[in-house]
Amino acid sequence: MTLSDSIVRWRYRLVPDHLLGEILTKRWVDNAIPLLILACVMAVFGSLIPDFFGAASVSNLMRQWGEFGLIVMALTIVMVAGGIDLSVGSIFALGNIVALTLMHVAELPVPLVVLFTMACGAAVGLVNGLLVGFLRLRAFLTTLVTLIIVRAVVDMILLKYAVAIAAVFPDSDFWFFFGEGYVLGLPFSVVLTIGVAIVLHLVLSRTRAGWHVLAVGGSRRSAHNVGIPVRRVICATYVVSGTLAALAGVLFASRLGAAGADIGIGLEIAALTAAVLGGNSLGGGRGSAAKAVIGSVTVMIMVNSLVRIGITSGGSSLLLGLVLLGAVMIDVRWLKNRQKFLSKVYVSPTYSALPAAPATDGASPYALNDRLRPVEAIGLDRIDGPEDVILDANDNIYVGNRTGDIVRFLAPDYDQQEVFAHVGGRPLGMAFARDGSLVVCIGGMGLYRVTMDREIQKLTDETNRSWFSVIDDSRLRLADDLDIAPDGRVFFSEATVRYEMHEWPVDCLESRGNGRIICFDPNTGTTRTVLKNLVFPNGICMVHDGQSFLFAETWACRVSRYWFDGPKKGTVETVIGDLPGYPDNINRASDGTYWLALVGIRTPALDLALKMPGFRRRMARRVAPDEWLFPNINTGCVLRFDESGRVIETLWDRSGDNHPMITSMREHKGHLYIGGILNNRVGRLKLDGVDETWTAKRSYWGQS
Amino acid sequence: MRLFRTLLVSAAVALGAGSALAQEGINDPTRAPYYDAFAGKRVAYVPVAMGFDLTEGWAAGLRDALEPLGVTFDIRDPNWNTDAGAQAITALISEKPDVIVVHNPDVQSYARLLKRAEEAGIYVVQVNMRSSYSTDVFVGADYVGMGEQIGQRLVDVCSPDKGKSGKVAITQGVLTAAASIYQMQGINNVLSQHPEIKLVSNQAADWDSTKAKNIAATVIQQHPDLCAITGFWDVMDIGTAAAIKESGKDVYLLTQGGGNRMVCDNLANGTFSESVVYFVPGQARDMATMIKHLLQHGQAPGTTKTTLFTPLDFLTKDNMTAASCWDMPSNG
Amino acid sequence: MSSMGRLSQEQIVFGLALLLCAGFALALPGFLTTNNVLNLVRSVSILGILGVAMGLVVIGRGIDLSLVALMAISVAWTLNLIGGGMPIAQAMLIGLAFSLIVGAINGWLVAYAEIPAIFATLAMGTLIYGFGRYFLFSLDVAYMPERANSLLWLGQGTLLGVPVPIFIFAAVCLAGYLFLRYAKSGRYVRAVGDNILAARITGIPVRPIVVQQYVMSALIGYLAGIVTAASVASMNTRLALSTYVYDVILVVVLGGIGLSGGKGGIRNVIVGTLLIGILLNGMTIMDIQYTVQNVVKGALLLTAIVIDTIVNPRDEQTAQQGDI
Repeated sequence: MTLSDSIVRWRYRLVPDHLLGEILTKRWVDNAIPLLILACVMAVFGSLIPDFFGAASVSNLMRQWGEFGLIVMALTIVMVAGGIDLSVGSIFALGNIVALTLMHVAELPVPLVVLFTMACGAAVGLVNGLLVGFLRLRAFLTTLVTLIIVRAVVDMILLKYAVAIAAVFPDSDFWFFFGEGYVLGLPFSVVLTIGVAIVLHLVLSRTRAGWHVLAVGGSRRSAHNVGIPVRRVICATYVVSGTLAALAGVLFASRLGAAGADIGIGLEIAALTAAVLGGNSLGGGRGSAAKAVIGSVTVMIMVNSLVRIGITSGGSSLLLGLVLLGAVMIDVRWLKNRQKFLSKVYVSPTYSALPAAPATDGASPYALNDRLRPVEAIGLDRIDGPEDVILDANDNIYVGNRTGDIVRFLAPDYDQQEVFAHVGGRPLGMAFARDGSLVVCIGGMGLYRVTMDREIQKLTDETNRSWFSVIDDSRLRLADDLDIAPDGRVFFSEATVRYEMHEWPVDCLESRGNGRIICFDPNTGTTRTVLKNLVFPNGICMVHDGQSFLFAETWACRVSRYWFDGPKKGTVETVIGDLPGYPDNINRASDGTYWLALVGIRTPALDLALKMPGFRRRMARRVAPDEWLFPNINTGCVLRFDESGRVIETLWDRSGDNHPMITSMREHKGHLYIGGILNNRVGRLKLDGVDETWTAKRSYWGQS
Repeated sequence: MRLFRTLLVSAAVALGAGSALAQEGINDPTRAPYYDAFAGKRVAYVPVAMGFDLTEGWAAGLRDALEPLGVTFDIRDPNWNTDAGAQAITALISEKPDVIVVHNPDVQSYARLLKRAEEAGIYVVQVNMRSSYSTDVFVGADYVGMGEQIGQRLVDVCSPDKGKSGKVAITQGVLTAAASIYQMQGINNVLSQHPEIKLVSNQAADWDSTKAKNIAATVIQQHPDLCAITGFWDVMDIGTAAAIKESGKDVYLLTQGGGNRMVCDNLANGTFSESVVYFVPGQARDMATMIKHLLQHGQAPGTTKTTLFTPLDFLTKDNMTAASCWDMPSNG
Repeated sequence: MSSMGRLSQEQIVFGLALLLCAGFALALPGFLTTNNVLNLVRSVSILGILGVAMGLVVIGRGIDLSLVALMAISVAWTLNLIGGGMPIAQAMLIGLAFSLIVGAINGWLVAYAEIPAIFATLAMGTLIYGFGRYFLFSLDVAYMPERANSLLWLGQGTLLGVPVPIFIFAAVCLAGYLFLRYAKSGRYVRAVGDNILAARITGIPVRPIVVQQYVMSALIGYLAGIVTAASVASMNTRLALSTYVYDVILVVVLGGIGLSGGKGGIRNVIVGTLLIGILLNGMTIMDIQYTVQNVVKGALLLTAIVIDTIVNPRDEQTAQQGDI
C-alpha cells in the first residue's frame, strides 16, 4: 500500500463524512438555523450590553418572554393547521382590558377573573374558528376583520372604564402573583408558558388530536379524504389560540395594570415574525412548540435589547426589519434547497481497497466454462425477478417476485404456478423452519413467516437502536437473506441501513460497512443486532456444526464465518477474501460443501474507483445516476466451496443467454435451481454424481 | 467623547483649584463639592417616545445642563409602546443609574415600577405626565388648573350670549394619561357650572393626528354648528385642524403643547386659534435644577416629594411674540 | 364564476353598497345631497388610490404591506427637503426616486430572492420606517412648509366644484384600468397572478413583471402620499406603524380581488371603496361614535365575506393548499 493510499484510508477512517448527510435527514435540523440566529442575536447583544447575562437582566427578559411566548404559541397552533390568526394582538388587548375591568371595577375574585377572561378569548377564537373552520372563510381576511372589530371593542371598553381602572389599585397579592410572582425561582409567567409549550409539544407529537392538526396543515384535502374532521380541527385551533392570547393578556394586566390604547398594537406582526423566525411555515404542516419558543426568544431579545442599548426608535425598526428579512430569506433558501443539498452530501463514499481479483482462466478454480449452458428455464417470462429459490418436501418451487408475491411452481413439471402468499413487499431470502413454515426476508418490511396454511405473520420489523447512530437504525430497511439455527433462532442480514432497497447501487458506490446481521429469537421474541459495519451483507448459510454460519459481503467480495455458539462464540473469520465477483446467496450442497452465487464480476475500473472516494463523490454529485460506474451484475456464476475456503468448482454461462444473472441457487434432489433478481425465469440444472435424494430440509431438520 | 469631557471638566476643576491657590484668594467652599456631586453620575431618560418636540426638547435641555458636569445622559426610547417602556424601566432598575426621568404614558402602568426604582435607591423625576405614584420630583403643567382655564376659555368663546351655538368637542389623548384624566376633571369642574355649553363629543385620539382628524371630521359633520374643539396636544391637533379646514367651517380650535416653533407658525396662519403653552425649555431647566439638587443633597430617594408646576401661557395670533416659541435644537 | 344564479363577490358588495345607499337615502335626510356625496367620495379617495396600488399587486398574486410605510416616509422626506430649502420639483423628484427604488427592492425580494411577498413587504415596511427615521429625519411629523402651499391645492382645492382628490382618484383608476386592459405588461400581471408557472412556461418574463408591480404600487403610493400630505398639511410618519394598510387590503379584497391572484380589476377597487365610504358616511350622519363605527364596519365586512363564501363555497377537494 502506497503512502498516499494510507493517507486516503486514514482520512476516510477518521472523518465520518456520512454523518453530515445523516444529520441533514433529521427533522430537528429544521431548528438549526433558527437556533443559529438565536445564538448570533445573543452573542451580539451579550457583547454590546454589559451584564446582559446577569441574573436581574435574565429574569426581566424571561418575565417579558412569558407573555410574548404565549402569543407566539397561540399563533403557531393556528399556523400549523394551515391558518393564520392576525387577531392575537387584539385578543391580547381584550384579555388585558377585560381582566383589568373585572379586577379593578367589578372587583371579582381572582380565579373568576382569570376564567372569565380566558372565556372571552375563547369566544373570540370560536367566532374565528366558526368562520374560518366551518364556513371556510379565508383565514387572513377573516382574522384581519376580527382584529379590527376586537380592537374597536377594546377602545369602547377603554372609553368607558379606563379612568375607573386607573383610579383603583386592587389589594390582592394573589392577583399580582400572576405578573410578579416566582415559582421555583422562575417568574410565574415563564413557568406557565413553559408548561404550555410542553403540553403543546406533547399534543402535537404524541396525540391523535395533534396529528390531526398537523395532517390538516400538511394537506387539507388528504386530511379530509382520510376522514379527519377538518372543519372541527381548524375551529379548535382558533379557540385554543384565542384562549392563550387572552391568558397572556391576564398576565400583562397583572404585571402593569396598564389601560392604555397602545397595548397589543402591532403584536400580531411581532408574533408572526417570531413564529416564522422559529421555522414554522406559513401555510401549515411544519411547526412545533420548540420552534415557537426559539422564535419568540429571538425576537424578544432583539426588541428588548435594542431599547436597552438606547438606539432611537428608527434604528431599532431598521434593524428589526433587516433581521426579519434576512431570517426569512435564509429560511426560504433552506427549505427550498435542503433536499437538493441533502442529496448532494448524503452519498459519502469511503476508501475500500479490494484484494487483487484472482484470474478466471487457465488452472484457476474460477476458470471460465460453459457448464450452465444446459440450464432449462422454468416459468420463462411468467415470473419477474425471483431473487431466491427454495423447494419444499413435495418438490414445489417457491420464489419471490417484484410485485410482492411469493409464487409457487407446482411439481413435477412446474408448468402451473400460483400465488402462494401476497406479502406486499419485495420477498428476498427464504428458508423453511422446522415446522415447515416459510420464513422470508421482505425488503422494506422486515422478517415475516408464511405458515403452512398460508397465513402471513410478522416476526420482526425492528431491532435495537444503536446508541450513537444518527439515523434511526432500529427500523429494518433491507432485510436480505436469512438462515435458521438448529434451536430456531433466525439470523438474517440487513444489507444497508442508509438506503432503501432500490438504491442498492448507491450503497455500492459508498462501499462502507453500512450493513449488519441481526438475530431474531422466536423463543423470546427479541431481536438483537449481532454483527455491525458489514459491507452489504447478503447471503447467510448455517454451517453443519450448528454453531456458526457463513455470510457473504457483496461489495467486499468476501465470505466470512461467524460463530454464534460454542467455544469460538463471537469470532469472525474470513473464509474467502478475494472473490472475482460480488457474492450473493450461500446455500448448502449435498456433499457438505456450499454453493455460492456471484451476482456479478468485478471490473478493474470500479475496483480502482473504490480506492478513490473523492472521485466517487464527485461522480455522485455531478453525473446523472444513469452514467455512474456500476458494479457489473449482468454476468455471474455459481461456485462451490468448502469450509476451509477452497473453491471446488465454478459454473459459468459464458454466452450469457441461458442464465445470465444469478443471485441464488438451491440444490434439491440432484438438481440445482437458480434464481436471479433481474431474471425472468428460474433455472434448473442437472448435477452429475451427487446424492439424488438429498434435500435441504433433511440436511437442516433431519428425516421427518 | 464623554470620557474626554469628564477629563476636561476635572482638569478645569483642578486648574481652577490650582489657580485659586496661586492667587491665595478665598476658596469658594461649595465649588469642589458641587462638581464632585456630579462626577460619574448617570441620568436615564424614558419618554413615551422620541421624535417629537416635547421629548426632544426635554432631552436637549437635560443634556445641555447635565453633560458638561460630567453626568452621563442615556435615552431609552420605547417608541409609543407602554410595554417596551416598562421593560426599559425594569432593566434600568437593575442597572441602577442615579436618576430616572420618566414621561408616563398613563397614570397606572409605571406606578409600581417607579416605586420599586425609588426603593432601589434611584431618584425618579416625572415630567409633564405623572403616574398615580408620586416620586421625588414632578415637573409639568397643573393639568387640573389648566383644564379649568380651558373650560373657562370655552365658555368665553362659545357662550350662546355671544351668538354662538355653545357646542364644544373635546379630543383627548390616551384616556388614562395624566394629561387627559386631570384635565378632564378641570374642564368638567367648569362646564358643570355652565349648562349652556354642550359637550357634544368627548373622544380619545390616542395622541394620533390621523385618529384626531377622523374624529373631528365626524363631529363636524354631525354638528355643523360646532363652536369649538379643544384638543389635548398640538401635534395631534394638526389632524383636527385639517378636518376643520376640509369642512370649510369656522370652528375655534384650542390646542395645547410645548410651545415649539410649529405652534407659532400654525397660530400665525390660522391653523390653530389658540394654544396653551407649557414652555418646554423651562421644564427641562426645572428638571435639571431638581436633579442637581437631589444629587448634591444625597438624601435617600423617596424621602421628599417636590412638585413644580409649569407656568402656562395662552397664546393667540394676537398676543404672541417671536420669543413665545422655541426652536428645536438643530441636532435634534 | 358561472353567470347563472351565482353572484360574484363584487356583485354582492356592490348590491350591499346600493342597498345601504338606498337605505340611508330614505332614512337620512341630507344623505343624497351633492355636497354629502362629494364629501363621501372625497373622504375615501385616498383610500381608493392606495386601493388601486394594492389591487395591482394583489392581482399579480402579491401583497404590499409596505405601501403605507413607503408612502409616509418618502413623502415626509420630500416635505423635509422642501423645508430645508430645496426647490419643490427637485425635492419631489428625489422623494419619488426613493419611493421607486424601494419599490424595486420589494419586487426584487419577492421575484428574485423568492421571499414570500407577505414577509418581504412586512419586513420592508418596518425597515423603511426605521431607515427614514434614522437617516432621513428625526421627527415623527413632517409639516408642509409655507413655500409648498401650492401643493395644498392637490389635497384641499376644488375643480369645477369637485374636490381635487376625487379627480386624482378617478385618474388613477382610469390609468390602472387602461394599464390592465391594454398594456401588454398589464395583461401579463394578470397571467402571472393566475398561474405563475404557466406564465413562465408561456415565455412571459415573470420576474420583471413582479418587480414592475411593486414599482407601480410605490409610484401610486407616492401620489397618494402627496395628496394626503396636501390635505392635512403634514405627514405623520407614525402612519407607517398603524393598521391603515389593513384598511387598504380590506378595500381591495372586499371588492372581490382574491388574495390568490389573477382575479378582479380596478372596478372591484372602486366598489370596495364606495362601500366603505357609504358605510362611514352614513354612520357619521347617524351620529354613531367613532369606536362603534369601527365595530359596525368590521361586522359588515365580515357579513360581505360570509355571503361571498356561502354563495361561492370553497370545497375541500378544490381548495388550494397553503392558501390562507
